[in-house]
Amino acid sequence: MAGSAPEGTQFDARQFDQKLNEVLEGQDEFFTSYDDVHESFDAMGLQENLLRGIYAYGFEKPSAIQQRGIVPFCKGLDVIQQAQSGTGKTATFCSGVLQQLDFSLIQCQALVLAPTRELAQQIEKVMRALGDYLGVKVHACVGGTSVREDQRILQAGVHVVVGTPGRVFDMLKRQSLRADNIKMFVLDEADEMLSRGFKDQIYDIFQLLPPKIQVGVFSATMPPEALEITRKFMSKPVRILVKRDELTLEGIKQFYVNVEKEEWKLETLCDLYETLAITQSVIFVNTRRKVDWLTDKMRSRDHTVSATHGDMDQNTRDIIMREFRSGSSRVLITTDLLARGIDVQQVSLVINFDLPTQPENYLHRIGRSGRFGRKGVAINFVTRDDERMLFDIQKFYNVVVEELPSNVADLL
Amino acid sequence: MRPILMKGHERPLTFLRYNREGDLLFSCAKDHTPTLWFADNGERLGTYRGHNGAVWCCDVSRDSSRLITGSADQTAKLWDVKSGKELFTFKFNAPTRSVDFAVGDRLAVITTDHFVDRTAAIHVKRIAEDPEEQDAESVLVLHCPDGKKRINRAVWGPLNQTIVSGGEDKVIRIWDAETGKLLKQSDEEVGHKKDITSLCKAADDSHFLTGSLDKTAKLWDMRTLTLLKTYTTVVPVNAVSLSPLLNHVVLGGGQDASAVTTTDHRAGKFEAKFYDKILQEEIGGVKGHFGPINALAFNPDGKSFSSGGEDGYVRLHHFDSDYFNIKI
Repeated sequence: MAGSAPEGTQFDARQFDQKLNEVLEGQDEFFTSYDDVHESFDAMGLQENLLRGIYAYGFEKPSAIQQRGIVPFCKGLDVIQQAQSGTGKTATFCSGVLQQLDFSLIQCQALVLAPTRELAQQIEKVMRALGDYLGVKVHACVGGTSVREDQRILQAGVHVVVGTPGRVFDMLKRQSLRADNIKMFVLDEADEMLSRGFKDQIYDIFQLLPPKIQVGVFSATMPPEALEITRKFMSKPVRILVKRDELTLEGIKQFYVNVEKEEWKLETLCDLYETLAITQSVIFVNTRRKVDWLTDKMRSRDHTVSATHGDMDQNTRDIIMREFRSGSSRVLITTDLLARGIDVQQVSLVINFDLPTQPENYLHRIGRSGRFGRKGVAINFVTRDDERMLFDIQKFYNVVVEELPSNVADLL
Repeated sequence: MRPILMKGHERPLTFLRYNREGDLLFSCAKDHTPTLWFADNGERLGTYRGHNGAVWCCDVSRDSSRLITGSADQTAKLWDVKSGKELFTFKFNAPTRSVDFAVGDRLAVITTDHFVDRTAAIHVKRIAEDPEEQDAESVLVLHCPDGKKRINRAVWGPLNQTIVSGGEDKVIRIWDAETGKLLKQSDEEVGHKKDITSLCKAADDSHFLTGSLDKTAKLWDMRTLTLLKTYTTVVPVNAVSLSPLLNHVVLGGGQDASAVTTTDHRAGKFEAKFYDKILQEEIGGVKGHFGPINALAFNPDGKSFSSGGEDGYVRLHHFDSDYFNIKI
């Protein structure tokens, strides 16, 4: 394959960089400079009971993003923080929020938004664990659960709400969640939250929040379009950005299998199944209908698999996530619903049965393996139609995707 | 050997311990719940629920009736092994790191980390036979010169006369367990160059093995603190264990967890490495973990060993007969 990606496509690196420079260039008055690095949690000036929670969680030393990112957030500064998948962003904003809460005031003081219910619940769990010694009251406010229960909990009073945009907006509108005391607003997976699908909801929520509010945006991917939008609602943010070609995780081995035709993907997956079940694996496909189709096909061949996507009812989604986290089920088929943020300890293999339609999701998907402290493997199924896209991904993110060797089990 | 993969922890492993008979295996992890497994087939027997933080270490009494656990929730707890009932909680104001029962199980040594203005310390507690009579009083409290350096491991020496400790300040110390006096400490010249991460005693208490971030493990005489052997590897050593049957030692580790995902996939080296204890030569390695190895333990019968990793798995390996006939 020769030549670069056609002008204007999603993988046009030159255009991406040009747009990024336009957003960043000559905008020095828009950003706050902050260069301090703190090599231990003790050196960050955190309150004692928060430190207790951090150490109880099992943290011993701050990761790179935590060394730079916790303190500016604690000082009340707006922040834009980008870091590779699985390197500690959630603990960064959770610590920043917890440090600034007034625990004697049992009113919502911080609002954290995430694109999926599973991710919101995961963040709520971390926030609760880190804030345990502070007595934090945190609630996951997500769709698919009892509205009445949410109203009851919110009216009883919580310090932090972690939610998905739809339910949070509904609670704000109904006045079950009062915005008067909210002084921190966090967007996790911010580029997704500011994309076409969520942007209007975020805007509607933001309109209901107090005018003076601290904003933190976090993601592993931060395209120029998202950065452009942040200018509308952030005040001189401290930014920590990673270059496009440094985003990928070298600890994740990336492979492709040339399956030739779409119809042959299923056979290839069945051939790999024994390897899949050794540890925990996530298989990504592009549509909900295809999740159902692939699940049925695998089960009809006596392969044990779990599946989840956005059309399933919430109780089922919760059960499936619990089973997958605990290891009761080992192979999970899903859409990009779970491409972002989800952290399951033993996932070491990701299979892109379909290549993602959005470039950022390639990084997010393979980032479900290769989490903090663990190597991972990603396998891409490539048809003739996909070859171009795989090439573009390699160039755009500066990665090498090799052909899958026959001894893949040895790599896991 | 084909390992048995034990899945039960949802976060990284921190410690593994067999009971004296070798039929039970206790595992600790960052997920708050120490777990008990049958050591032969890896079947899970149960969990110990009560801690509110990562659990760093555990020990089991000689008769397998009592378990003690040290946790980052600033407590150490005593448990009834059989029922899983929590018997007593020792409260410290700092994360609790290492625990070890004395011979006879009437005393325990517990280390706590530096926390805010509290210095790292080694505590000796009396363990009552009747849990109703248990109290939290310390018989002895020992401090190292640099109170901010973590004491990663402290264990009893021969006949409970001494306590052996090692940690972040790279120094191994032998203390008089009666008076608290520092008797010996490792020489800077021959000792470890970086944090000591782990320590394993020989079954007869004549010598012990230490692992360090300096990529070596060292074998020491327990009475004289003379350096006997050094085993050199290429990555930080997080865990060490001594075979009770053969003159073999096993080391485990890998690159620092925070660097694993952002460096090349070939850089991890998460193998358990076996060395000849006498010749200091590497015999072989066992692969499998996809994160650093944090814990290793030999079964007291010498016929199997277990490893625990950052990946959340415990891997149980029964040795092939070939292992017992290795010639160098």
